[in-house]
Amino acid sequence: MDYADDNALPSVLMAERPNGDLLAAAADGDSQAWSEIVDRYERLVWSVVRGYRLDEAASSDVSQTVWLRLVENCDRIRDPERLPGWLATTARNEALRLVRANKRTIPSEFEFDLVDESLPDLDASLIKEERLRRLVEAFNEMGDDCQKLLRLLTTDPPLEYDAIAELIERPKGSIGPTRARCIEKLRRIMERHDSASRGPHEGPSR
Amino acid sequence: MTNTADFEGMSDDELLVELGEALRLADPVPSLVTELVKAGHGLRTIDTEYAELVFDSAMEELVGVRSDSSTREVTFRAPGIEIEVAVVADDRRRIVGQLVPPQQATLVLQYRDGSHEVESDSLGRFVFDEVPTGPISLRCIHGDNQVVQTDWVIV
Repeated sequence: MDYADDNALPSVLMAERPNGDLLAAAADGDSQAWSEIVDRYERLVWSVVRGYRLDEAASSDVSQTVWLRLVENCDRIRDPERLPGWLATTARNEALRLVRANKRTIPSEFEFDLVDESLPDLDASLIKEERLRRLVEAFNEMGDDCQKLLRLLTTDPPLEYDAIAELIERPKGSIGPTRARCIEKLRRIMERHDSASRGPHEGPSR
Repeated sequence: MTNTADFEGMSDDELLVELGEALRLADPVPSLVTELVKAGHGLRTIDTEYAELVFDSAMEELVGVRSDSSTREVTFRAPGIEIEVAVVADDRRRIVGQLVPPQQATLVLQYRDGSHEVESDSLGRFVFDEVPTGPISLRCIHGDNQVVQTDWVIV
């Protein structure tokens, strides 16, 4: 096939392969299909696991366990389009198992030192990085429940509210209000950081 | 001088998008995890019976009523056979197991980068010494060459 002209690609090749196809292919021994599933959802699994304050080694063990479960269950996932929910639930259960068995938990704080210097507009990306850094610093100060919820609300790909409600064992209707309250807290913490960094001697900025 | 002004103008939805991006950058999936998970496809077994994790003492304990926490008990169940396992962590980590119903069988302990094989005695008892940390799975070859593979679990 001639790929010289991108427009000539049949649109079906551009579409994402459905989970069901990938799972069936992976069950048949297709490691490429397996990699595609991993690329699609590894971030989601990691985000859920990281809500449990396990150290990085333990979080890595849990993630691997979740994926090994899927390897053995490729052909047993009843509704492939709900695979993200299955992965998230398995991630929560295995994280809890380790928390309860080992108590290997730590305060989870993140260092934030990342500038992608390959970006075309370094100035703009530095300003953006500063913004993201302040978000993470504020996030680090939040309580467990808000951290967990905000992680679940910012996964890639996103989780549906139904799945989130199940993960945190709260009614679905409570997620909207709790989300608003947690974001409000996040904004307050950032405001506090800002006024602290301006210091007591400087007047209000104009 | 930056301040929250640039967040104040932001809706909750926009703020969450930025937070998602910030967390992805600050807490990425370690590349070793990606590598191991992708390689994990090679561990897929075929033509095996699947033994599900049906009991875990770690999940049964009531808050504040921790029993002897150095021993963890888990049970896997497949049609016709149960594999009961106690993980004993004293100077080294050992697995002491029991097949129900009791029977002689070959047991393979699989872990991230290898495996170990032992035989159970006629009472269905088996022992693995020096169990590594991280995810493990047991394979049990019993009866007329029936193969049972357990869920992966961290013990």
